[in-house]
Amino acid sequence: MSRDVQKEIADLVKSKPVVLFMKGTPSMPMCGFSARTVEVLKACQTPFDAVNVLADPDIREGVKAYGQWPTIPQLYVHGELVGGCDIAVAMYQSGELQTLIAGDVAK
Amino acid sequence: MQNFIENTLKNAFPDAEIHVVDTTGGGDHFDVDITTAAFAGRSVLQQHRLVYAALGEKVGYEIHALALNTHIPG
Repeated sequence: MSRDVQKEIADLVKSKPVVLFMKGTPSMPMCGFSARTVEVLKACQTPFDAVNVLADPDIREGVKAYGQWPTIPQLYVHGELVGGCDIAVAMYQSGELQTLIAGDVAK
Repeated sequence: MQNFIENTLKNAFPDAEIHVVDTTGGGDHFDVDITTAAFAGRSVLQQHRLVYAALGEKVGYEIHALALNTHIPG
């Protein structure tokens, strides 16, 4: 049986306001970039869903195609790719990430 | 790999000011700081995508980790 990985990912990122594809888990991140992105989300005091791509090779490759983004972590807010660790950190520092998560941005 | 990154980005963005640092000395983790007019009018996400597109499929494989800082001149 072939999986429709792209649809699975689309459903995942739309199922929750904040979804992070990462290596490892929030309590045990396996990569410094993933760890830093988790720290940023904790600092935003936002609940988020984490998807451990190391546990699922199809998702790991699939999310790169889905996001048109070659690396993990990938942060999705309200179904849209925000970026990787560097962008998440920069947007947190400027306050944009908190605003985006709060949904205060005019659509 | 550091030369590959510098040369590839220089070709893709001829006006760019580029600084590449091999952060571990292992040839697969890099800090890239790049300033080019090609980023003007684009979101940070789009700026990063331009850099990834220029570097091609090495990112995420041979280039294990790439910390990116993108800037618009001026």
